[in-house]
Parts: sequence; C-alpha cells; structure tokens
Amino acid sequence: MEKLIGQTSVPIQGYAMYEIEKIFNRIIQRVNINLRDLAFDVSPFVRDHINLEKMSEFYAFYGITTDIPLNLKFIHSGLAGSYFLGNCRISNSLLYKSDIRGDELKRKGDTFQYKHFSIDLAKDELIDIETSALIKTLVHNYSHDPETPERFFIKDTLALDYSNIHGAPSDGCFLGSFATIDLTTMSDCVIGQYSYIQAGEINHLNVEPGTIWVNSPGQFNFLYQYPIERLKQYIHCSPEKGPTGLLIDFIEARKDAFNTIFDAVNLEDTIKVPENASLDRYAVVLPSTTISENVLVAQRAYLENSYLGRGANAQEHCFIINSRLEGGNVTAHGAKIIEADLDEAVFVGFNSFLFGKPAHRLTIGKGCVIMPHTIIDSEEALSIPQDTLVWGLVTNQQELQENSISLENLKKIETHTNQGNMFFEGSGSTFVQAFKDRIQHILEVNGAFFHEHNV
Amino acid sequence: MKNFTVKKLLLPISEYATVSLGTTLFDAILALEQAQEKFYHGKYQHLAILVLDDEKKVVGRISQHRILKAIEAGEELSKDLSKLKMFNFSDAYIENIRETLRLDTKVFTQQALKKAAGKKVEEFMQKPTPDEYVAESSPLDIAVHKLVSGNHLSLLVKRDEEIIGVLRIADVFVAACHGMKALNIGEK
Repeated sequence: MEKLIGQTSVPIQGYAMYEIEKIFNRIIQRVNINLRDLAFDVSPFVRDHINLEKMSEFYAFYGITTDIPLNLKFIHSGLAGSYFLGNCRISNSLLYKSDIRGDELKRKGDTFQYKHFSIDLAKDELIDIETSALIKTLVHNYSHDPETPERFFIKDTLALDYSNIHGAPSDGCFLGSFATIDLTTMSDCVIGQYSYIQAGEINHLNVEPGTIWVNSPGQFNFLYQYPIERLKQYIHCSPEKGPTGLLIDFIEARKDAFNTIFDAVNLEDTIKVPENASLDRYAVVLPSTTISENVLVAQRAYLENSYLGRGANAQEHCFIINSRLEGGNVTAHGAKIIEADLDEAVFVGFNSFLFGKPAHRLTIGKGCVIMPHTIIDSEEALSIPQDTLVWGLVTNQQELQENSISLENLKKIETHTNQGNMFFEGSGSTFVQAFKDRIQHILEVNGAFFHEHNV
Repeated sequence: MKNFTVKKLLLPISEYATVSLGTTLFDAILALEQAQEKFYHGKYQHLAILVLDDEKKVVGRISQHRILKAIEAGEELSKDLSKLKMFNFSDAYIENIRETLRLDTKVFTQQALKKAAGKKVEEFMQKPTPDEYVAESSPLDIAVHKLVSGNHLSLLVKRDEEIIGVLRIADVFVAACHGMKALNIGEK
C-alpha cells in the first residue's frame, strides 16, 4: 500500500503569482518555438482556459512504497492536485491534477530489450518534466526510446485535459484534450484532441483531431480518422470555450465524488475487497459494486453499480458504471464503460467511450479488442460477437459492421485492406498477435494471474 | 518554315474563351461553347478556357481533361488519400486504394454531375507553370520543343510581361504538315 505525503496548499499572491505567470508564459513560448514549422500557436487553446489561480487550491501527493525508489525533486514549479510516484524531477513546470506514475520505470541493473539491442541500465530511470504544462494528464510506463533508456523526458510540452503520455518521451509538443501518445518518442508535434498515436517515433507532425494511428514499421500500419463534425459532440476544443463535449460533461458530472476522497484523510471502507485484489485508496467505488479476486482498481478510477470478475482491471481515469465485466478484462487508462456487459478477456483501449443505454445495453463477446479511442454510443441494442476488433465511431448496427472485423478475418490479411475510414497495411496476424501479447502483459503486471503464478 | 515565329500562329486572347475567377464549371462550359460558335479560323475548335483574375491577367487554364477530372469525384478522393503518405503508408498501397475508389465511383449520375457543375473554376484549373510560356518573337522550333517536352496542348504567348494570346498544338501541327507537304517528298 502506498503512503502519501502532501505539499501544503497556500494562496497564491503577489510575487508568487508573478512567478507562476512567468513560468506559464515561458512554457507557451517554448512550445510555440518548437511548433513554428507547423505554424501552430498554442496560446489560444490555453490562455483563457487554464486558470492559474487554481494552482494554489489543491495539495500535491507523493506515494511512498517499499519497492519503488523514493525521489521527488521539484524546482520552480507548481504541482496543484497532482500525484507522483517513484523517481520524478519537475522543473520550471506547471502540473495541474496530473498523475505522474513512476511505478513501471526501469531500474538500475535492468536490461531493456530494443530490437536486437540488449541495453543495460546504469541507473534508475527518471521521469524528467521540464518547462512543460500538464493539465489533468496521466504520465505512465517507461521510456521506450533506446536513446534515452534512463530518462523519460517531457520537455517544452503542453498537454490538455485527460491526455495520456504513456511511455512516450516528448519534446516540443502539444496534446489536445483526451489525446494519447503511447510508446512513441515525439518531437515538435501537434496531437489533436482524441487522437491516439502509437508509432515508435514521430517528428514535425500535425495530427488532426480524432486520428487513431498504430504503426509498427515493416509489420503493420492501422489508421482511422473520425468524421470531424461528428466527433465535436463528444470532444471539441475551441479557443473561446476550451474543451467541451459529452466526454467533458460526463467527467464533470462525477468530479464531486473524487473531491470527496481527495479531501478526506481517512476514508471508511465502502466495499469488501478480496485479499488478493487491489483497490486504490483514491478510486471511487459506489454501491453496489463487486470486486473479485485478482482485480486491480487504480487511483482515479470510478466504479458504480458494477461487477468486476476475477483478474479484471480498471486503470486510471476509467469509469465503469452499471456494467458487468466477467473477468480477465483490461479497461485501459481513461476508458469508460456504461450500461454494458462484457464477457471474459475483453480489452477496452485508452479513452474509449462505451455508452450503452438502460433500454438497450451494449454486449461485448469474449476476447474482443476495442481499439483505443473507440466511441460506441448506441442508439439501439448492440451485440458484438466474440473475438472481434472494433474501432472508431459506432452508433448502430450498420456502423458496427463498417467499423469492425473478426480477429479471424483480420489474421488472414497479408498485404492490406480498407474499410470505411479505416486503412490497414501489413500483416493482420502480426497486428492481432501484438495486441494479444500486450493485453497478456498488462494482465500479468496487474496481478490478474496472481494465484496461478504463486501456487 | 524555319523563319516562322510564334507570332505567326498565335490566337489573340480576345478570340479565346475566357472566364473570371469564381465562375462555375457549368458557366465555363457555356463560355467555351460560345467561343467555339464564334470561332471560324481553321477546322480545329477551341478545347480550353483561360481563367482571368480581376486585373484580366491569365491565372489558370481549363482543358477538357481538367473538366472531366473535376466531374470525376475520384479526384477529391485522391486528395483525401494523399494524407496517408504522412502516416507512413506505402505508395503502392495508396495507389491501389485510389484506383479502387475511382472504379467504384459513379460519374454519370444526376447527383455527381450537379455537384460538379457548381464547382468554381479555381478548384480545378491548372495554374500555368514556367515552361508553358513562350515569347511571341520566339522561333516556332522553341515552341515545338516546349509543347513536346512539357506534354502541353497549348502555350501562353507573352509580349514582355503581358499574355497576349495562345499557341495551340493543333495550329503548330498544321504548320508542320504544311511544311512537309511543301517539300514535295512524294514526287519522283
């Protein structure tokens, strides 16, 4: 169990506010300098949207465990409401209600395998955030860049609400709301809102909102782009209003539940949790929820009236409401599952929004893979057959047909295919195997097979 | 023949079909028809339209090929596909999809024709490239080289910086034919 120490909250006045504004302006300038080739100005997206006064309203937290190195350095920075774990250094930055989770960082003596290179680590890996502003952002995993195996850097970067920087060193970038950059080193890039990028390394790209891109060069390449006008009802970023849309409304409607658990020092147990399950102290669990053995519920997860079967996990910022997950399920960072029934071993990717309705629930069969950043906003009862890959925007049966493929058929693809707005080139079987391997890895590290491995 | 200059064969711009920026594809076709009705030099009709800006300078040209490309929706689909390159898709894959989409798209439907008719000329006109200009004083040899090497159907003829006319491939072709016939090659 993690113990926490807090940064004292003090009102920002006079000189302190002057310094914070100075840091903020410097961050904007540095990001803009990096993005000058793309002619992208971040100012309109942040100037009126980020309220610097709030930087004094919340404590910051640092988690202490017996098995993760204890090291937090913060210099000339604001950390309001943010949570840190492990080896972290923050300088000249503003972090607001962000999670900097160093629990998966590499350790001194580890060997990091990158293609045919076996890279020995001379020291513990560090999350190094410099001249960056992260708003409600999750930073997790470890640097997958073989050139910086001991330093997971985030430099001259600005990330907006509910974005994920997952194993992705970043230099000179802007991430819109709900954007995810996963296992990818990026420099001088704009990642539009609700885009998901996993591409190894990217430079000087301006990625449109709602772009889902999974590229493993030489193996496979998957691309889907949301119809931009339809995406706006779910998430839209405008200079006038900041991030708006159903996703923001959905989270805002439930934020009081989090304020309650973050404000209280001692919380009463609201639910019985098996000994070999893990429920984070900063997760919201509302009646009537059942947590089975080997379940992991991370901080800032929200569970309400749901069943989590054996080995299921609910990662940071995910919401599971009025739903049933039979077991061995992965609900990745920021995923939302409402009024849905998921059979065993269903993977729901980052920031997906599975929005079933009481009158017509969503049913997902065993072994399905819901791609990151998928929106299923059902207007009718939808039932997804087992072992199906689903992506993009689905509101009815016709769109489900267009935006899905059975894993069996996908495995047969050897060169390319395209379906609606989805483009795929490469080996389908390699793509499926890569997902399955990653899902298995996530379940293993989250303790889903705890009993089997320890008898 | 060898003393011929471009000036000898050019068609003055006043005899050519011209439209202004902002004209629709349908109105451009009507302008071409009108120009063809008025045209009585030789047996080769006008096949292209010049686009003029507010200062009456030539800023583009529309050939029959350009008009058909505008009518074929595949052209728009191709524009969307070009972004696939940014996402590391191979040229072969992009070309494959482009062709598939083209073949799947119906051209002669009321909806497609109506949509095409409303397009503005600036959306599909060809902007002149530097190799499409020729001086009116240039020898015809230069013009032939430019037509052949650039695969052009006509050249824009300049006097100083002003475009004063068009040199059509058909007229150069006729001149070449006349030149050969004048040699009496077939006579013993």
